[in-house]
Amino acid sequence: MRHLLIIFLALAFTSVFAHADKHVNLGDRATELKDEGKSRDIHPSLAEIRKMHPEFLLHKRDKTLRQGVRTQRDSLKECVNCHSSTKNDEYVPINAPDQFCSTCHQKVGTSLDCFSCHRTTPKEGL
Amino acid sequence: MNIRYQQIEGRSLGFYALVAGLGVLILTALGSVYFMEHHGHYVTGMNNRIVWGIPHVFALFLIIAASGALNVASIASVFQNKLYKPLSRLSGLVSLALLAGGLMVLVLDLGRPDRLIVAMTEYNFKSIFAWNIILYNGFFVIVAVYLWMMFERRMNKFSRKIGIAAFIWRLVLTTGTGSIFGLLVARHTYDAMIMAPKFIVMSFSFGLAFFILILIASYKWGDRPLGDVILNRLRNLLGVFVAAVLYFVIVFHIGNIYLAENNNVEMILFANGSIYTNLFWYGQIILGSIVPLVLIYHPAVKGNRSVLGLASILVIIGGIVQMYVLIVGGQAYPLEMFPGKDILEGYGGIVAYTPSFPEIALGVGGLALALVVVTLLVKFLPFLPESLADKVADPHHKI
Amino acid sequence: MNKELNRRDFLKNTTAVTAGVATIASGITLTTFAANDNPVTNEKRWGMLVDTNKLTESNINDMVNACQEENGWGSEIHSTGHQKPSWIKKIKVKDKVTGKIDMLPMMCQHCEHPPCVDVCPTNASMKREDGIVLVDKHLCIGCRYCMMACPYDARSFVHEDLSNQKEHMPRGKGTVESCTMCVHRVDKGEMPACAEAVSSNGVIFGDLYDANSKINQTLKKIQSTQIRTDLNLNTGVRYSGI
Repeated sequence: MRHLLIIFLALAFTSVFAHADKHVNLGDRATELKDEGKSRDIHPSLAEIRKMHPEFLLHKRDKTLRQGVRTQRDSLKECVNCHSSTKNDEYVPINAPDQFCSTCHQKVGTSLDCFSCHRTTPKEGL
Repeated sequence: MNIRYQQIEGRSLGFYALVAGLGVLILTALGSVYFMEHHGHYVTGMNNRIVWGIPHVFALFLIIAASGALNVASIASVFQNKLYKPLSRLSGLVSLALLAGGLMVLVLDLGRPDRLIVAMTEYNFKSIFAWNIILYNGFFVIVAVYLWMMFERRMNKFSRKIGIAAFIWRLVLTTGTGSIFGLLVARHTYDAMIMAPKFIVMSFSFGLAFFILILIASYKWGDRPLGDVILNRLRNLLGVFVAAVLYFVIVFHIGNIYLAENNNVEMILFANGSIYTNLFWYGQIILGSIVPLVLIYHPAVKGNRSVLGLASILVIIGGIVQMYVLIVGGQAYPLEMFPGKDILEGYGGIVAYTPSFPEIALGVGGLALALVVVTLLVKFLPFLPESLADKVADPHHKI
Repeated sequence: MNKELNRRDFLKNTTAVTAGVATIASGITLTTFAANDNPVTNEKRWGMLVDTNKLTESNINDMVNACQEENGWGSEIHSTGHQKPSWIKKIKVKDKVTGKIDMLPMMCQHCEHPPCVDVCPTNASMKREDGIVLVDKHLCIGCRYCMMACPYDARSFVHEDLSNQKEHMPRGKGTVESCTMCVHRVDKGEMPACAEAVSSNGVIFGDLYDANSKINQTLKKIQSTQIRTDLNLNTGVRYSGI
């Protein structure tokens, strides 16, 4: 029984970390910012944003919706703006397979409920 | 004399056929839910005016019947009536099963059933709905404990105390269910606190009808003796409850007709020949109240078991019709937004509602779930007394 | 890299980042929204005054269209008849005695004591401090009890899957929605789309509490009413001329 557990945990960890550092699809704007060396201005710590982004978003959503605090930091719109990528001059929905959000979420097997309501591409005419 | 409880054998072809049949209904319901949730509610007959349709009719019907089914146990342990004592276990079981069926329907008709956890973690204590969630969950716990007290010999002595708690809880629960409608100030068709006592009396009637049917069926199919003493007592009780429901319905509607503001609603629902008029008069009043009363009290058929079964079935059908008229009919009539004015355009009129197959399947599936729970549990746990023959049930009975 | 984050690091990092991003001149312009850093308060109460005498039928149609355009409802494919959402609708009424005909736009009345908020089991129906009534779709389970409770038929249930929503107006299947008084515009200091669509004084939007606001001053001068005053809900949307 213990062996099985160890094997299971090992597999779980390797799959998370093997994946963690190669984002196939960072998104157009995010790739630009990264190439310009500016990505650390937005996400100073990769580990932080990877681990804490649900909390950031949750906190931000309540502040915006319930208190009218509309800042760009931690705004889901801004996530979509930077991390969307284009194909044939059209934006691909960010929750489509192989896109920024879903690659990770599929890998770790957590569902993603944002986009049953939120727009999946940057706003019209961006 | 001690009552001996015994599981049913549950090996006959009939038993398996019953379970399989109910299973098919439940699977159909689950398939329907998947279909509805995948496509969205546009595949149903419900809309922005009829927001609660057939699923709510079944769900609320089962939920109020659930609280009523516990009455037999309450009469035994709260009011110390010895005759009903052997029936207490079954009463608790039927009650839990009906509640489970009703809640299944209610939950699976939500727009986002996947978010049920939100309903358990975010409470708005001003909301009657939120209170009902607590009341339903509490009812499960209390009745489960109550059953345990009845099953476990050394706990028997507590069963009266728990029985009283369960009885009070169920009264509060049905008051809560009635208040879902009674507190809707916006709608003339509901806004009246008489809804709460009306729902309680309805629960007595519907719950007992279910109980009688299940009792007759399980003793007939299980080949166990069931005497007339018990059945005649239950028959009289059902008669009183059906009459009481009729009384509340009459009082409610006469009160409404007397109020000028509600006059229109009453006239349209009960005298203009719409589907609700027919359902009300033929379904609820004649089929669901008057015919059962005749079947129960007419001297020619007194003591006839099949007639009692038929009366119970009619009470159940009449009850579903009554919930339909109340829930769907109550929404079909437009809100009175501009007193003294007619709305020519943009809003108004009686809205049509045609239930779709998946909705109906979901409602029926809830009923099937309740019945399958009873069927399986009487096989695995000793809910039913070996014999309910007159000399066992009532030793002082003189033949 | 340190994969473990404790609360203190988290707070430190976020503060540093907020300060950092605000000061450096990156492609991101935080300053535009600086005015919205503070939560809204109950010192304001947003409201609207609709003068039916000044509104023509085409005015009201414009209001409905502007709302659809702004918030992206009305292009549902599968929903039929009453299943289609309607955040704002044109209503024509006729007085039973005089036969006088009035037309008015009807939407969420943004009550001070909203029945929809009272009945919502999960706190999804909510009222902001400044009086705007909203649905928090993150918490909405789609029970539709608010639709039963609303005296104004103001709410709609989304009956089908949606895509290509407006960026500022998330909407989704299985949740309830209604007029938001264009909260996303109001927070930017703009007017609701419907009010902007009418050039005359037919619709006045503003802060009901502010003695200097046009809506406050007009309400002091002219006769106005709330729909279903008997319910004592103290609506934010007022009407004159009916």
